[in-house]
Amino acid sequence: MEIIIKGGYVFDPINGVKGEKLDIGVKDGKIVDPSKLDERNAKVIDARGKTVMPGGVDIHSHIAGPKVNVGRLLRPEDHYISFIKAITGVKRSGTGKTTPTVASIGYRYARMGWTTVIEPATPPLKTRHTHEELNDIPILDKACFPLVDSNWFILDYISKGEIEKCAAFVAWLLDAIKGYALKLVDPGVAELWSQGKGYGLDLDDEIPSFGITPREIITGLCKVNRMLKLPHSIHVHCNRLGIPGNYSTTLETMRALEGMGDGITIHITHAQFNSYKGDNWPALRSGAPEIADYVNAHEHVSIDMGQVIFGGATTMTADAPFEFALFHMTPIRKWAGSEVEVESASGIVPFKYKKKSIVNAVQWCIGLELALLIKDPWRVIPTTDHPNGGPFTRYPRLISWLMSKKAREEVLEKINKTARRRSVLPDIDREYSLYEIAISTRAAPAKLLGLEDRKGQLGEGADADIAIYDLDPTKDLNDPDRIVKAFKYAYCTIKNGETVVMNGKIAKTSYGRTFYVKSSVLDEELMKGVVSEVKQKFKEWYTVQFSNYIIDESEIRHPEPLVMGG
Amino acid sequence: MNPLKVVLVTGRTVEQGIEGEAGKLREKYAKKVAVVELDAKDLKLLGIDEGRPVLIKTLHGEVVLRAIAAKGRHPGIVFAPMSPWINIVIGSETDGSGMPTFKGIEAEVYPTDERVLSIEELLKKYYGQEISSSELTSQELAPKNGSGGEQLFKDVVCPFCGCLCDDVEVLVRNGAIVEVRKACAIGSAKFLGHRKERALHPLVRKGGTFVKVSLNEAIEEAAKILANSKYSLLYGWSSTSIQANALGIELAEILGGVIDNTTSVCHGPTVLGVQGVGTVRATLGQIRNRADLIVYWGSNPLNAHLRHLMRYSALAKGVFVPGRKQRKVVVIDVRETPMAKMADLFIKVKPGQDYELISALRMAVKELDIEAEEVAGVPVEKIYQLAEIMRTAKFGAVFFGVGVTMSPGKDETLENIIRLVQDLNEWTKFVLCPMRGHFNVTGACNVSLWMTGYAFGIDYMRKFPRHDAAIWTVTELLSNEDVDAALIVASDPLAHLPKRAAENLTKIPLIVVDPRFNVTAAAARVFIPSSFVGIEKEGTAYRMDGVSLRLKKVVDPPEGVISDEEILSLLIDRVKKLRGV
Repeated sequence: MEIIIKGGYVFDPINGVKGEKLDIGVKDGKIVDPSKLDERNAKVIDARGKTVMPGGVDIHSHIAGPKVNVGRLLRPEDHYISFIKAITGVKRSGTGKTTPTVASIGYRYARMGWTTVIEPATPPLKTRHTHEELNDIPILDKACFPLVDSNWFILDYISKGEIEKCAAFVAWLLDAIKGYALKLVDPGVAELWSQGKGYGLDLDDEIPSFGITPREIITGLCKVNRMLKLPHSIHVHCNRLGIPGNYSTTLETMRALEGMGDGITIHITHAQFNSYKGDNWPALRSGAPEIADYVNAHEHVSIDMGQVIFGGATTMTADAPFEFALFHMTPIRKWAGSEVEVESASGIVPFKYKKKSIVNAVQWCIGLELALLIKDPWRVIPTTDHPNGGPFTRYPRLISWLMSKKAREEVLEKINKTARRRSVLPDIDREYSLYEIAISTRAAPAKLLGLEDRKGQLGEGADADIAIYDLDPTKDLNDPDRIVKAFKYAYCTIKNGETVVMNGKIAKTSYGRTFYVKSSVLDEELMKGVVSEVKQKFKEWYTVQFSNYIIDESEIRHPEPLVMGG
Repeated sequence: MNPLKVVLVTGRTVEQGIEGEAGKLREKYAKKVAVVELDAKDLKLLGIDEGRPVLIKTLHGEVVLRAIAAKGRHPGIVFAPMSPWINIVIGSETDGSGMPTFKGIEAEVYPTDERVLSIEELLKKYYGQEISSSELTSQELAPKNGSGGEQLFKDVVCPFCGCLCDDVEVLVRNGAIVEVRKACAIGSAKFLGHRKERALHPLVRKGGTFVKVSLNEAIEEAAKILANSKYSLLYGWSSTSIQANALGIELAEILGGVIDNTTSVCHGPTVLGVQGVGTVRATLGQIRNRADLIVYWGSNPLNAHLRHLMRYSALAKGVFVPGRKQRKVVVIDVRETPMAKMADLFIKVKPGQDYELISALRMAVKELDIEAEEVAGVPVEKIYQLAEIMRTAKFGAVFFGVGVTMSPGKDETLENIIRLVQDLNEWTKFVLCPMRGHFNVTGACNVSLWMTGYAFGIDYMRKFPRHDAAIWTVTELLSNEDVDAALIVASDPLAHLPKRAAENLTKIPLIVVDPRFNVTAAAARVFIPSSFVGIEKEGTAYRMDGVSLRLKKVVDPPEGVISDEEILSLLIDRVKKLRGV
């Protein structure tokens, strides 16, 4: 299948293309030089007056796995109100707004022009489940990050100072369960939660069962991450998330990783939830300026926003004690807690963000302040931490807020007045250009994930994942609603060289790849020694056999290993 | 004489499990399950000896069973294994939960001179189905004479119950399983007996009798039934892989029919309870490693999950809790089951009053005054005692079974017990875990959730998933005669549904896909034999705590027999063509 996309305004930051009118060629799932294609054989898409970008890349969205599925179970009411009808042969059916089913996830991302999405938290023991859901999500390429911050093997090695062995274990784990990067959630908290403790755990508090602190877990895993040459930095949900005053913990966490090496050493995820000033909820203020100042002055940090969207959400996180606390704060009296032996815990609580709530309004401001005050769009990624801050389907609105002060002001007028007074957002004039949107939603996340050779760009040889929006950058950008409409229903989405969305509608159901990492950096003898140690402990610690824990490549629909080192 | 008024409780037994796995059309199955356990006192009152027939009568019907003496003492309560016999007296109303009441039923017992019917007689008398099962199923597959040699498969996952024990060793010689190690009695029976009583040929009913046909013909016949139906029911799914489940969901979507799994007749109320208030869960290893208090509530692992105690709960060796001595064990049940004997504290709750007991416990946990001397037959002091045991545990776990889900109140009872556990988390760590029966019923719920948003009872009439347990569940749809065709995969509803629902199932065009010619197959229009998932076919299954494991293929299926997955793929293709989509 050959496609030529003709005459569109192309935004391709990795190749420095800033809205020039260019043709893009597609052949056999890859981007090719259009001049080498024969127009008579190729499908020609007229993109004149339209915007052409690489397919969107979401670095953090809870789309699959045990907690996502319990979220669905917990919220039938979320499924009654939103559905996609099946058209046999074209598309499958689905339901759900904040906890969408696999088809609704794949199709809605594709309709927005997003083609690669990361599930950022999976307990290793239940990752077979995560992969089975990922297998069933149509269209998208995806990957998942295993939770590693409370894993007994890892805590044990770190407490003994055996970083090399820890690295060997992590390399084995990533390969065994087909994971992509290391996820830390309120580092160390799940271990404490299994004893009913852990709320408010701070960077230098001790985790008694292992005699180590979250700081040691974070720095230890950062070293491991670099030793293994993993494509993405450690992906950290900081300690004290969702607790007023936590911005200082976030700053300390970033400081803890200074001097760990070149490039990005830590990704702070959904930073909005970790940028709170004030001693209690009524006194909540934004810590975004301080966080942004730090990020602007230091090269080793990237963040994603975790923007709050007013309306319904389903909070779900491995930060189990936080969810238990939230259960007491919300009028929707539902709480699903879960714990996984040796590894992790989680909690789920349905939530609603309200404009008139001072806390929610401050939260809304903080997310945008972070994105607007951090100068480098390569290091701040728009997310809603779907479905924690709100569903990913609200990205078009989020983009309009970034691109238009007018759009922000429309919301600011309606939110809690005290919150507005406390915020610096009304004074921020910055508006993202379309090029900056292309950076922060495509090029940057692809680069942070180490996938920039094939994702987030339109250079020759890259994967042919392309979004075409009915948006004329020469005249449509002053109208925020026009921006929202364009991003909500892409004119055309091409995934792996196939047209999957046309005129905002699903045209074809395909199934994408799952990326995972095989690190062969370490010495084989070391690996062997560690695996045999793990085998010994396994029987004592787990209720499944060692061999059954390992996920075979054949269990993944389209496996795509990234081999690091070796 | 005056009838003996009793409360009837039905449920699983080890023998029912073993014999059911070996084939339900055998005389031995009837011998083990067409029975009712009476307390010695009650036998005396009736003036009969053990082994004599008795007539059980409820509002819904009457049936003759063989009386046997109960092992525990529970005068006034009679227990019958779940079976096609006892279902004759079970009602089909579900109180909007989709779940019939299989427990706590008011009944009368009479001595009788009638004899217990054979399965053939039972099917004829109550469902008008005539079968001569011997012709169809009596064969035992000849062992392969090939040169397969000997192979030991280790870490095999047992495809019987929700425990999914994954340490089983299976010895295969010349293509046949000759030895099974580490599995429980039922699991072993399933592996060792998989070659027995197999139906090897697709069958289509022609002029009232079954005719052996080719696979293609059977698929064609089945696809026609489905394609021509206006509203079909696809039911079963908990004893097959999630891969087969996913295809079943796709087929339901294409047909615009209903797909329901056996959750609706076991833990349906549990799902509804979670929908209402949430849950507090942990993997079995977390419980094994940490729980110093284990509560079995309306669940009987000694009969239904034989290795549960050793591997995961009371008797298991955990990292922080070395064994039974360091754990407190509480058993709550309507009768003194063998489980009660191993408990530190046994609480006998009046049948059908679990809700009341839970409410009282929640009050006691919060130190509120209970203004009664006893609740649900339990003295208030004992309730306070239990509350204290619960609050002072370091890590508590409740394993609850269908004894709770079938209790009146259904999902309300479940919401209440989940709330109790949520309340307890204000004091300490507490979790609960449903004792799921079929090996992949948890997987059926999971795949259904990620594809439809709902765990069971899903309708596709409008081409997108809708869910309401009060409408789109097997018992409701069948007893209200709402569906005009049914496909049953890896389940035996005619053996396990209340009479009215079962009866209506026999009246509509019925397709059965199963490794065995089971009771339901007797009423089928098309029967397609399939391979055993986890023995002859790989796939994924989910343990009761949601941990998923890969089932292995250790031997080839009988020649010509294909898997559920392959059968469903063929059906999907054919139905699409017939419907022109």
